[in-house]
Amino acid sequence: MPADFPGPVKAEVFLLRKRTSTSTILSIWLVVTTVFAYAFPYTSYRTGSNEFAQSFDSMLPASLVQVMFEGIPFYGGSLVLSLGVLSIGGDFGWGTWKTLLTQRPGRSAVFGAKMAALGIVLIPFVVLAFVVGAVASTTIAIIENAAITWPSLASQEEAILAGWLILAVWTAAGVLLAMATRGTALAIGVGIVWGLAFEVLLSAFASSVSWLAWIVDFLLRANGYSLARALMGASGELSTDGPGTFSGPYVSGGQAAITLGLYLAVFLGVSLWLLRRRDVV
Amino acid sequence: MAILAPAAVKPNRPVGADRLPIVNHGAALETTALAIETRGLTKRYGSIAAVDALDLGVRRGEVYGFLGPNGAGKTTTLRMLLGLIEQTSGSISLMGSKPGSRETLVNIGSMIETPAFYPFLSGHDNLKMLAAYTGAERRRIDEVLDQVDLAARARDSFASYSLGMKQRLGVAAALLKDPPLLLLDEPTNGLDPAGMADMRTLIRRLGDEGRTVLLSSHLMNEVEQVCDRVGVIARGQIVAEGTVGELRGQAALIVRVDQPQQAREIVDEFRGIASIEITGNTLRIAAAVDVAIDGAMVNRRLVEAGIAVHELRTDRRSLEDIFLTLTNEEVRHAS
Repeated sequence: MPADFPGPVKAEVFLLRKRTSTSTILSIWLVVTTVFAYAFPYTSYRTGSNEFAQSFDSMLPASLVQVMFEGIPFYGGSLVLSLGVLSIGGDFGWGTWKTLLTQRPGRSAVFGAKMAALGIVLIPFVVLAFVVGAVASTTIAIIENAAITWPSLASQEEAILAGWLILAVWTAAGVLLAMATRGTALAIGVGIVWGLAFEVLLSAFASSVSWLAWIVDFLLRANGYSLARALMGASGELSTDGPGTFSGPYVSGGQAAITLGLYLAVFLGVSLWLLRRRDVV
Repeated sequence: MAILAPAAVKPNRPVGADRLPIVNHGAALETTALAIETRGLTKRYGSIAAVDALDLGVRRGEVYGFLGPNGAGKTTTLRMLLGLIEQTSGSISLMGSKPGSRETLVNIGSMIETPAFYPFLSGHDNLKMLAAYTGAERRRIDEVLDQVDLAARARDSFASYSLGMKQRLGVAAALLKDPPLLLLDEPTNGLDPAGMADMRTLIRRLGDEGRTVLLSSHLMNEVEQVCDRVGVIARGQIVAEGTVGELRGQAALIVRVDQPQQAREIVDEFRGIASIEITGNTLRIAAAVDVAIDGAMVNRRLVEAGIAVHELRTDRRSLEDIFLTLTNEEVRHAS
């Protein structure tokens, strides 16, 4: 890492902080987490409706890790994919790649600074989601006079790390799509279709088409949920009801972590290779 | 002193092109005296050569005008110098280093085509971001904003800037590193007349401070006012290079007399006469490049010989005439 690397990283964090898209995506992520993980299920529980029916226990603080993991690999992934696309694709749209690349650091350092900044910005995405979940579940527990017990600190820390890794892989996928298409519109379109439709459909058909199961083992969503399930251990099971839920097949936690790590390395490596070899016009 | 050396400059020039006033000093200079040096620099897009075996030599501490029509290859050349695009063949040396390397970029401030900044950040914040990238001191931000007269609007978002203000911010960003070498691509584009004058004064001052400036432009008067030397590029090739005075050549002497043939015989005896054309009673006397014709002496000799001189004046080609001649000539040869 060059000696002057922190300067560009600070600059990129400053840039991400100032971008409306970052705060918008973060806000959407927190609202979606609150609404789909707590508001709708609790309303459904109170009204006795079957829609969003979920066990009451899953809305309490003890299930915080489980509830967070149900959302992170699905809509969390799609949202941060957009963050990755916008942070890289925007520079193509505004022509700012030429401005950045004619400063001092060189292409690899500029890319490294952008990725480091994205990695830093993802921390509040995970931590704030847990905070919002903690507040929502505590509120429900107080209203319902239920016991407030928390998952162990170690499991919360593991969950935050795993959540960060899952979001980082999806962000890197967005970075690669933006770098490949040199823009935002097509990259977001392809990314959303991949994350919200294609992977879901492949997983759905995997139970009836045997050879698809092998492919599904390597999908982002399958590995994200597999890592989550492995970390939850005996503390709970992921819900298989409701929109976007994942019902397997699962791979082992170790395999999921390695696969996600490889995805992260490949996405970032190919993106850097594209940036280094292409002309900037 | 101008030296006619067309073959040394462009050995692959088309037949007949050696009539053009090619002047070359760069080839004779030591490499160390050059801030920018390209040899056979070529960029091809498929079968089209955007830049074609370009030999460019910009001396340290000079303001060099890179003059050419739209599509001549100016911006492509600048992009190659900055390492934004890779040349198909040929070599580039910038202060002795490779284009795009950290060692090179630390010494170069640039503005290529339309200035590109983050629209949601203010001008000041855009520079703050670049300062973090370059390691420039924070005080430089205010200094360069003052230099380009943008301090009053520095806190407004870039998206709200006029084209001229964007240009000013682009130049401010180029100056942020306090670099010894500046590459400026049409920096007065979009500025009002007063802004253009201020920008030219600033560029000239930067040159006077000892910086090397490569100024790409298609504005003759701009180049004429600001630059120490000029290179004219057409169809990706340098077609002429020298000071503005060298490119324009010595002024011709126009003399209207009552006996043109006798006048010709007298004028022909002067040293360094390149040509004498007679149209009716008017002689157009052109000197060799490095010779000035003494109009008073010509007048005296003609009068002493009993020839009535009705008119005597100098006639100098404008840079625009030369530019059009050079670039049109290239187009004709190419077609």
